[in-house]
Amino acid sequence: MDTPAPPAPPSPPQVAAAGAVDATKIYGVGDAQVRALDGVTVAFESAKFTAIMGPSGSGKSTLLHALAGLDTLTSGDTYIGDTYLSTLDDKQLTELRRTRVGFIFQAYNLIPTLTAEENIRLPMMLGGESGDAEWIDTVVTTVGLRERLSHRPSELSGGQQQRVAVARALASQPQIIFADEPTGNLDSTAGAEILDFMRRAVREYGQTIVMVTHDPGAASYSDRVVFVGDGKITGDMDDPTADDVLDHLKQHGV
Amino acid sequence: MSTSSTALLARRSIRARLGRTIAIAVAITAGVSVVVGSFVLADSLREVFTDLFDELSEDVDLQVRSVQEFDTNDAREPIDVTLVDDVRAIDGVEVAEPTLTRYAQLINDEGEAVSPTGGPTLGVSWEADAGIQGVTIKEGVPPEGPDEVAIDKATADRERISVGDEVTYLTDTGQHTGTVTATIGLGDTDSFGGAALVALDLDTALDRFGADGKVDTIDIKVADGADIATVEADLESSLTSTVEVITGEQVAEESAEGVNQFVDLFGNGLLIFAFITTFVSGFIINNVFQITIGQRLRELALMRAVGASGRQVRRMIVGEALILGIVATILGVFGGLAVARLLITAFNAAGAGFPTSATVIQPRTIIIAFLVGVGITMLSVLVPSRRAARIPPVAAMRPELGFGALERRRLVGGVIVTVVGLAMFLVGMFARPGGTQGLIFFAGGGGLLLFIGVASVSSTIARPVTRAIGWPIDKLFKVPGALARENVARAPRRTSSSAAALMIGVSLVSAAAVFASSLRTTFVDTLENAITADYIVTDDSFQGLSPVVAETLAEVPELSAVTPVRGISGQVEGDTKNFGAVDAAAFEELFDPDLEEGTIGGLSENGVLVHTDPASDLDLEIGSEIEVLYQNGATSTLTVEGIYGDATFGNWLISLDTLESVSDAPARDFFIIGKLADGVDAETGDVAVAAAIEEFPQVNLQTNAEFRESQEAQINQLLVIISLLLAFAIVIAVLGISITLALAVFERTREIGLLRAVGMNRRQTRRSIRWEAVIVSTFGAIIGIVLGTFLGVVLSLAVPDDIISKLAFNPTIIVIILIGGVVAGLLAALYPSFKASNMDVLDAIATE
Repeated sequence: MDTPAPPAPPSPPQVAAAGAVDATKIYGVGDAQVRALDGVTVAFESAKFTAIMGPSGSGKSTLLHALAGLDTLTSGDTYIGDTYLSTLDDKQLTELRRTRVGFIFQAYNLIPTLTAEENIRLPMMLGGESGDAEWIDTVVTTVGLRERLSHRPSELSGGQQQRVAVARALASQPQIIFADEPTGNLDSTAGAEILDFMRRAVREYGQTIVMVTHDPGAASYSDRVVFVGDGKITGDMDDPTADDVLDHLKQHGV
Repeated sequence: MSTSSTALLARRSIRARLGRTIAIAVAITAGVSVVVGSFVLADSLREVFTDLFDELSEDVDLQVRSVQEFDTNDAREPIDVTLVDDVRAIDGVEVAEPTLTRYAQLINDEGEAVSPTGGPTLGVSWEADAGIQGVTIKEGVPPEGPDEVAIDKATADRERISVGDEVTYLTDTGQHTGTVTATIGLGDTDSFGGAALVALDLDTALDRFGADGKVDTIDIKVADGADIATVEADLESSLTSTVEVITGEQVAEESAEGVNQFVDLFGNGLLIFAFITTFVSGFIINNVFQITIGQRLRELALMRAVGASGRQVRRMIVGEALILGIVATILGVFGGLAVARLLITAFNAAGAGFPTSATVIQPRTIIIAFLVGVGITMLSVLVPSRRAARIPPVAAMRPELGFGALERRRLVGGVIVTVVGLAMFLVGMFARPGGTQGLIFFAGGGGLLLFIGVASVSSTIARPVTRAIGWPIDKLFKVPGALARENVARAPRRTSSSAAALMIGVSLVSAAAVFASSLRTTFVDTLENAITADYIVTDDSFQGLSPVVAETLAEVPELSAVTPVRGISGQVEGDTKNFGAVDAAAFEELFDPDLEEGTIGGLSENGVLVHTDPASDLDLEIGSEIEVLYQNGATSTLTVEGIYGDATFGNWLISLDTLESVSDAPARDFFIIGKLADGVDAETGDVAVAAAIEEFPQVNLQTNAEFRESQEAQINQLLVIISLLLAFAIVIAVLGISITLALAVFERTREIGLLRAVGMNRRQTRRSIRWEAVIVSTFGAIIGIVLGTFLGVVLSLAVPDDIISKLAFNPTIIVIILIGGVVAGLLAALYPSFKASNMDVLDAIATE
């Protein structure tokens, strides 16, 4: 937890691409109350590939959703770049998701009725833009989908579908990409491919990616791992290997 | 543009969910087809009749007829035939042809009436050399003198009568014979618009029809070069003020108007059912959209997550509906042409005799088709699309968080809509503000709201009711039965929405059933208690009976009292009233009008009997005098001599003498009632009466019991017709349950796969779906019966007491409706149960 906490709103730190300040999320009331996030403060640097790890129910997904503006907090705040998300209304949040954020989910990433290419262009289409043709071409080549552009998701394998999802996230050149267990549904080969694409996007194009995972192998592709447990940050590790991550998990008894 | 992305998504979604798309499209198309069909049918009939009357009066430039003081359906006073000479004396009149149309009926060798199917039988005068009536000779020469007739070629062909044959015909003056000298037709046709015709020369017609030297009109053709308006003005100034002169166009217009009133009535009746069908379609479309949006929750949330605004999601859903609505409407317009043809064929099969020539599609019909088709689709998708727009993006990863957005605050809204609908309906039925339009707005609009409200509120009772319905099924069919019961109960909202369409159809049938039973009971009650007549004589064509029939019956010694019932309209204090005219002395023996004051049998000439309602409205008591103005300009001062409480024979009764003293129009009796003399047994009476009217083969003699049965049969027929007209709506409702169930099967793919994997066989799977459908449809039927019975009671209470004074229910019909509900469920289950039982087990389990 050496990352400096950002100063108070409304001027978030310039070093971080995104982060949370004292983020708390409580589900339910009374005895049934669950603190999914319990005062989390964390920052994610630009042009880095950060993994968030933790067991089921640790709050890691809730944190990701809050960071991405998909879910609201009970108290505290999250920010992307210099924007605190609690200051945005639904319309502004939508705009933010479309232009400044990319998403990769575990499954059901694609609109089944659209072709691979249309899925990749969807965020731009929704904004009425055509996007940077050259860049999209580069992305398509990088993820190796040229042959499959006119296929529907149902005609693609799970790995190919995730590649389309990665391409969609990259295509609009967002400030930050959030990935929620992107390889959770894939076999190890396909999973490795996806993780490799994500790492290349960070190294070669300076993309910022924050990924939630519970797989130490997947975490080892990242530049930094943030550990979450019981709604709190429990650890932080730079340049992790799979063994480092495993060791940490064992030591902290989860 | 962003609109293009939503349009693309909408188009793709339609194509990807073809089954659902077709299902919705069928619902829209069916609704639009019936609406378009109704309009096309009415427009086509209107055009045919307008053309016909235009053709008829093509050669008629002007017409002289008697003046009518106010608008009424009473026949105009005839005019003196001597006026023809005055007309001919006017400069510019080339032809003046008197017209005379009365009752005349051919009788065949067996002494039976020759009647075209349902059409009138008419006798006319025919001035062949002058002829401007459009009559054409098919064969032979015009009749001349008392022993010659011409008949229409259609009847001649059907009865195998040739020129030269001798025929017998009946008129108001009795039976006559004549030699057929010609067969005739109207223009190119062989008949006279369905009427059977006996044509005589003018003098013979005047004599045989008992016309007393009077004719109906004088039709005029103006000489070439003469100015019609000038001739009209000359005629107006030279003729007496009791006649008027109108142009040929007016003649055609008025004749067409008369028929078109009927066409309008008929067309509007059809339209009501068409709109009911559309309304039911709307329910189904709404339900399907609602369900599919739930199924597409993750897809829609994903769109939100990658940056689609709520508005874009809504626009996409609305866009889908718009495309669907437009395509289905276009199909519906074509479907409507087919429906119009089908209806004409069906009505003609029932003996309506509609011409089938033209199919008229007015631009108005197309516009209404789109308003209805696209409109109902847009309305149906309004709420679902708003809900879809509220799906939070986080639902893309955690679908369970998204369903909150799809929840509806149904109960409060539903109760409000129900109460407002009920209030409007009651106001419309009982307070009746704003005439017909008020009735449509309040009662019609209130009824629609009531249906929507009840459909919505019924979800709160869906669980207990369906569990109760499912109990025997559970006991009888073990696991599949129990599953069916649980599946229905676990989604009470969906159950009530999918049952709603059937509920509407069933409640309308139930309401009609209550109304019909009450109508019948009231009628039978009147017949049994108030009407003491033993015989009722009616006429099958709508022309009314010749007075000769009543005169003949009055002579029968076995009958002690006979009276015809005749009618005339007259204005009292500026309002037109219908007066019934009877032989009061006989009438008193035949009917108990619940006399409150005064006399019945003692009614004198220039006396009047009044029902209590108008009596209290106009402040009348025994001895009060009222001024009555008749359509021919005659007036009389009538003294109130009795006040009575049973309006079976109308609100105003006068004596036949009074009527005859004020009107020279040809008399027509609606019906005749008569009673056996004391000591005459029924059998002897039947024989005597039948013998007396043998020479009038067209009349229909019934005993009190027979009359009651025939009237009951007519009421039943009415109920059958209403049910048939609702059939379209009910078919759509069944389709709706089927679609909903198919969607549910699709949703439960994994679950069904699991059940199959642990050992449920195909048959059990089918059975479980089938009983689920039956529980849903029975639920709809039960709610429908309850609501419909209530509506029927309100309706029955709202109509005047002389039509319905007693409420009655028909348990048989309720049982039939319930069985129908079960059958509807079985039909609805055909496709979904097939789909469920044919799932690949492994694929089903692998589905997420």
